[in-house]
Amino acid sequence: MAVCVAVIGKDNSPLYIGGIGNDTSTDNELSRQWLVHTALDALEERLSTTNTSNTNSSANTARTDLRDLYLGLLYSTDTHKIYGYVTNTRIKLVLVTSSTSPSGSNIRDAEVRTALRRLHALYADAICNPFHLPGDQITSQKFDKQVKSLMLNNV
Amino acid sequence: MADDIVFDLLHSEIINYALEQTKTTNGSKEVDLSVVEYIGFAAGYKIMERLTREWPRFKDELDTMKFICTDFWTCIYKKQIDNLRTNHQGVYVLQDNAFRFLTNFSNGHQYLEYAPRYVAYTCGLIRGGLANLCINSIVTAEVQSMPSCKFHIHVQRT
Repeated sequence: MAVCVAVIGKDNSPLYIGGIGNDTSTDNELSRQWLVHTALDALEERLSTTNTSNTNSSANTARTDLRDLYLGLLYSTDTHKIYGYVTNTRIKLVLVTSSTSPSGSNIRDAEVRTALRRLHALYADAICNPFHLPGDQITSQKFDKQVKSLMLNNV
Repeated sequence: MADDIVFDLLHSEIINYALEQTKTTNGSKEVDLSVVEYIGFAAGYKIMERLTREWPRFKDELDTMKFICTDFWTCIYKKQIDNLRTNHQGVYVLQDNAFRFLTNFSNGHQYLEYAPRYVAYTCGLIRGGLANLCINSIVTAEVQSMPSCKFHIHVQRT
């Protein structure tokens, strides 16, 4: 089960960070921010290898893999696993699962991929909201509700 | 066919509205199309998130331009760009031989002086779409004989 989901903008500013409060280490805003922002370095690293592999033909197989928007497991800590997804518009989506809870520890890669794809779809809908200005935090309650239900369903 | 025309009609009414607005605010005969251009920018910015959702990551700038010419154009104008040229230094020229907003009212030089009004929205649309893909650009349009239209994209490198 996902314990935290974040949408990070082009300039690495947080657009939305949401979590479910049943996990002691992610039930406050600060620890969520900390978890998500530690993932940003790993994300940048993955993206820069995408660019350099364009000139390096030996990494052909790796390149086809990296053209995928889903970047897979970024890294894991003792308690959490952090997955990343970067859209074509350089919006970074981060999903954190808890490896201490039974449902989170044996989560499959394909499930995370579908969850992040759905999150991307929700984000695309959210920015079509005329009251949302690009680059601002997402304050829509509808988006918040949909993301929360996505996190719960993703068991 | 009837559902396609709604967009065309809305587009021409937006232009009439913008012209009306500038006439009442500054009273001069000068035409201010920046409002129309901005509407295009906002629309382009938002639609890009949706269109690129199922698309693999772009390799480079040219790859992005090809996307604009094919999928982006098909989505909005129901056809592809007829010709794409580039100098590989940040200038791209997109030529559409039968531009949707111009095909309806002229086939030659009549109304040629009004043509800039009908390309402003599209310039904004391209600029907005590219801005969301992290490419800052200046988009200008050139109309020489009516249904055909050229869009010049100058990519701004920092």
